[in-house]
Amino acid sequence: MTHTVEANAVGKRYGELIALEDLSFAADQGEILGVLGPNGAGKTTAIRILTTILEPTHGTFSVAGVPHTRPAEIRRRTGVLPESAGYPERQTAAEYLRYQARLFGRSRAAAHTTAAALLDEVGLADRGRSLIGTYSRGMRQRLGIARALVNEPQVVVLDEPTLGLDPAGQRQMLGIIRRIAGERGATVLLCTHLLAEVEETCTRVLILNRGRAVAQGTVAEVGARAAAPRTATIRIAPEDAERARTALSPLHVELTGGTLRVSLDGAARNEPLRRLVDASIDVRSYELEAARLSDAFLAMTEAAA
Amino acid sequence: MRAAAIVLGQELRDLWLGGRALTLSLAFSVLLSVLAYLVATNSALNFLEQRETVNLTLQVAVAVGALLALLTAADAISGERERRTLETLLLTPVSRLEIVGGKLAAALSLWFAAFAIVIAYVWFLGRGVGIAGDALTSGIVVGTLLAIFLASLGILISLFAPSNRVSLSLSLFLLLALFAPTQLPSGATSGWAGDLLLRVNPVTAGEHYIGRIVVNGRGWSEDVAWLASPVVAAAMFAALALAVGARQLSLRGGASA
Repeated sequence: MTHTVEANAVGKRYGELIALEDLSFAADQGEILGVLGPNGAGKTTAIRILTTILEPTHGTFSVAGVPHTRPAEIRRRTGVLPESAGYPERQTAAEYLRYQARLFGRSRAAAHTTAAALLDEVGLADRGRSLIGTYSRGMRQRLGIARALVNEPQVVVLDEPTLGLDPAGQRQMLGIIRRIAGERGATVLLCTHLLAEVEETCTRVLILNRGRAVAQGTVAEVGARAAAPRTATIRIAPEDAERARTALSPLHVELTGGTLRVSLDGAARNEPLRRLVDASIDVRSYELEAARLSDAFLAMTEAAA
Repeated sequence: MRAAAIVLGQELRDLWLGGRALTLSLAFSVLLSVLAYLVATNSALNFLEQRETVNLTLQVAVAVGALLALLTAADAISGERERRTLETLLLTPVSRLEIVGGKLAAALSLWFAAFAIVIAYVWFLGRGVGIAGDALTSGIVVGTLLAIFLASLGILISLFAPSNRVSLSLSLFLLLALFAPTQLPSGATSGWAGDLLLRVNPVTAGEHYIGRIVVNGRGWSEDVAWLASPVVAAAMFAALALAVGARQLSLRGGASA
């Protein structure tokens, strides 16, 4: 199966500075891939390479089945919302979208239709004739999304689309992003700092740090790979508490009535359960604290720092 | 080239409907009005012979018209970078060559507007001596060549300038340097070295050619050699701006462009 986006050992150097090193990943149709990383991790560089704004120093990639050696064709199939994109203040949103559609080869009439439809889709139909200079941050971001869709792209790349938005604006933006993947069937690369946003929206995640990919997979897979300490919460009969503490030694145990909180500290996730069963202690419940993406993110980015 | 035409159309709308070009053209009109009024009516300044008056007005118009084209071109790339609108343009399938070509052509519109304004002044000042036609023809030829040369120079500077301010300042400085020899006393430009200096500099050569036509009443072909450097500079810099722009137009200015 051909992936919609595929990168193989893509790298970018500026002299001695390595901005991106051997990035390899793939994304498929209808997928929302969250691209995470601290400042300077290489997210924007990766996006600019994949959208053909920058040339890679080495490596190959393809977008919508088009190899990186045909950048104009890639741009024809890709929609991008750049980080902190600027807008012509003295144009109306409708004029702006019509111009962008024309640059993608639409006829004058088709550009008109496309602009009207997109303004409606992002909830700006009633402000389409207003100057962009009068727009709020949230409206500009929605306009940016509309601009990214003027060419009906197979791949949509969004760099910090919720940056500076209030919670309601963020929610609205995430809804639009889900619709782009769900209803349009586009592959979305969502570049963000907000881990909750990724957990809520993305099907898969790619974590970058210092120009390298340090993890990728589903949100659950990446979260489970976190090196951060996890805890097991165990309920037993209160009279078995002291026997359980002995059985679990030397693991750190907090005892409250019949509830034990055990720090795994590198032990296998079912190790406490095995020890309690071996000690013939009746276990009423056994819960592992779910690994969170934020744990994984911090563990992986701090470990590499 | 269809995409270049779309870029040109949008640039023209931005320049003219956005008000910037209209403001500059209005300022240009005021400047020409003051100049024409002074040379035509002021008792201390109207000592100039009528042909000299037309020549002075035309030369100022060519110089300022070319300046407007230069400054517009100098803002074309670096200004978009600073306004963060360049990336969106680069993300379209339009080639870099077409983007630069559209912007270069739009910058030239300032010169053509300036020339349209000067027609009335030259006609008025040149009436009675039958020089208006020749003056305007030499003006459009020389002015267009100089505008192409200077706008291309502005685009080149804008491609590599680390900021818009640097681009505009450097362009203005180079323009002043090119025009400086026109202010030298005639003695300083006599002899073979002075003659060479005037001929090699496209600005002084072009202005000299206008003077020969308008003031000295020379024929078109008699001094056509003076057009050599404006023609070469316009062709060379336009080709250079397009070629370099097609390869080097990027989000970053400065040495990394």
